[in-house]
Amino acid sequence: MTPAGQMLIPALVLLPLLWLLPGAVHGGGLALLLQFWVAALQPSLEPHLLLTALRGIGVTLAIALWSWLLSLLLGFGGGLLSSVAVSQRLWCCSWPALLARRLLALPRSLHELLWGLILLQLMGLQPGVAVLAIALPYGALVARVMADQLDALPVRPIEALSTAGAPAWAALFTAFLPPLWPQVLSYGGYRLECALRSATLLGVFGLGGIGADLRLSLQSLQFHEVWTSLWCLAAVMLLLEWSVRWLQRRWHQPLGCVGQRGLELLLLAVVLGLLLIPSAQLMELRWQELFSSWHWPESLPLWDVAGWMQPWLPLIGTTLLLTLLSALLALAITPWVLLLLCPWNGCRPLLQLLGLLARLLPPPLTALLLLFVLKPGLLPAVLALGLHNAGILGRLLLEGLDAQDQRASEALQLAGAGPRRSLLVAGFNTVARSYLSFGAYRADVILRESVVVGLVGAGGLGVLLLESLSSFAWIEVVPVLVVYAALTLIGEAAADAYRSRLLSGPLPLEGLNPAVGS
Amino acid sequence: MLELRGVTVPGRQRPRIRAVSLQLQPGERVALLGRSGAGKSTLLAVANGLITPAEGRVYWFGAPASQQPLQRRRQQARIGTLWQDLRLVDELSVQQNLNAGCLARWSWRQVLLNLFSAQESEACCRALARVELEASLLVQPLGRLSGGQRQRVAIARLLRQNAELLLADEPLAQLDPPLARRLLQLVLDLGQPPRALLLSLHRPDLLEGFDRVIGLRQGELVFDQSPSALSPEDLHHLYSSSGLS
Repeated sequence: MTPAGQMLIPALVLLPLLWLLPGAVHGGGLALLLQFWVAALQPSLEPHLLLTALRGIGVTLAIALWSWLLSLLLGFGGGLLSSVAVSQRLWCCSWPALLARRLLALPRSLHELLWGLILLQLMGLQPGVAVLAIALPYGALVARVMADQLDALPVRPIEALSTAGAPAWAALFTAFLPPLWPQVLSYGGYRLECALRSATLLGVFGLGGIGADLRLSLQSLQFHEVWTSLWCLAAVMLLLEWSVRWLQRRWHQPLGCVGQRGLELLLLAVVLGLLLIPSAQLMELRWQELFSSWHWPESLPLWDVAGWMQPWLPLIGTTLLLTLLSALLALAITPWVLLLLCPWNGCRPLLQLLGLLARLLPPPLTALLLLFVLKPGLLPAVLALGLHNAGILGRLLLEGLDAQDQRASEALQLAGAGPRRSLLVAGFNTVARSYLSFGAYRADVILRESVVVGLVGAGGLGVLLLESLSSFAWIEVVPVLVVYAALTLIGEAAADAYRSRLLSGPLPLEGLNPAVGS
Repeated sequence: MLELRGVTVPGRQRPRIRAVSLQLQPGERVALLGRSGAGKSTLLAVANGLITPAEGRVYWFGAPASQQPLQRRRQQARIGTLWQDLRLVDELSVQQNLNAGCLARWSWRQVLLNLFSAQESEACCRALARVELEASLLVQPLGRLSGGQRQRVAIARLLRQNAELLLADEPLAQLDPPLARRLLQLVLDLGQPPRALLLSLHRPDLLEGFDRVIGLRQGELVFDQSPSALSPEDLHHLYSSSGLS
């Protein structure tokens, strides 16, 4: 099958979803849903609401900035520790790196929401919980990506410097950092976008920021207020995405003079550093209180056999089904809409707007909205996760199509092929491998994200874990945590294997070439 | 400056080099001849410390090659290698690449500053002038240079390293004849006393200017003599395929 064919096949997922739909529709809230969309054109512009929305955005941005910087620091250190190439240079053996890789797999395996709930139990409700909840899994993920990239770099320049007597650290800095920088910066920028989405999501679950406002407004059916917050969030998200893309493009070009990129990076670091203090004040972050209020539960029946007696097969099966259906839906939407609407000039702007809306709404809020017309269960959860991830995948697909060489497509059109056929043959076939590769990565993310749609009754391991943590049912927590972590790690390995088979080489980092994110 | 005593490096089917002994005195310029796979690159890798031989001993500047890391680095800082694939850092500018030759003697501060700003520009200009490149190239990213310019930058890096023993692994491969001769002359000039030069070649027509020539065949040293004493029979024996596995 051609690569383009593989892009279109996931649409078969619509068959089981359409089969489930008649039994899931109740339609009682159709009028409410219409009101919600109409309110998009009439957001509330009352000054106090605007101020509240701006303050919420500020707190979310502050959480995202702190957690992002902390995750980069953790990731940089962890990446160096878990890189076999670095370990061999510094300590002449690879076992410390392999051990570090194993240890870093655990923080990576849990979704930031689960980290948030675990830390909430241990540290109480405070802004630092959201920061740490994002920084820990992100840091472990950045460490893994960085170690992979370090290990894929050519070692010959470093050998040349070492045989000329350079100390190991100096050779590493000089020969490894410059080729690594553009990739780390590019990936780092992408992680900031992810951190903003995660900070919004954690807010939905009560950990502060615009997400909390969104959930409260939505639950009280104040749709005009919801859209005030959503449009503010959209503006920030677009500005951030645009800035990150601009910096990525700039730093991928060779710059004019020695160290220009380094100086610009230094300047950016200073600006970010200056932003840290006001952002900590904005979210009332107090590090000294963060760990002083640490407390373990009084009794932890970790190894009680009763906790291990769970219906594992249905739990795992539901989690995998939710992941599979959501990932296929996310993969299917943009290519098909693009193919159907591409002769129309407004197709791209429409897709960009829909993609922005899909990325903007955290999946649990989309799921809540869907409850206006659907009964609780698997379907609203699949739709919520699928639509959110389709927004992320769609943006990367459109960027990939714009960035590709247009000559093949032009040649086909000049030979009489219509826009649909030239898009299918020249466009899709070129970007398909990268798109499917990123889709596999998103499937891995969706497996972790399956916890966040538990409130609509989707079921599965993540939801059980969420409920166990929320209700202090410690007897269940450790067994479910172990099985859930094992499942996500197996999912990660399967997604990696599929991606490296598709791309036959080291896994790229972000964008459509870039295939890692959250 | 360099002495190898009975050095053997094992390979999969046969040793990559077997019981090789040689000496290099200050001011000597020695060519290493042999077919592809004869063991020239392995011998040079033993000479600069990249490979530790399974048997035999390596002496640098009259002392055994140290196993103690700091002492070994001090010894290696006096040995400069011109690699066949150059092994420059493409993402750095010409100046940063030249300064990479100074890493062994630089402090932490200088190593880090080299990544952000121009360091020791005058010395870099002098090194570029020695290899007949313009100073304006200093700020250029290495990726923008032609193949010949990159070769010269690699030679200039050796100048920045201020190495006493120069090793060169087929630096003229894949160059057109006029450029190959000019670059060879540059390297030979660099190998003037008190420095010493050991350079591997696969072309016996470029031996002018060398004091000695060493022949390697199937990892074994087959002759070590003056280029003027080299006979057509020696070369035939060195390059003939009979007896090769």
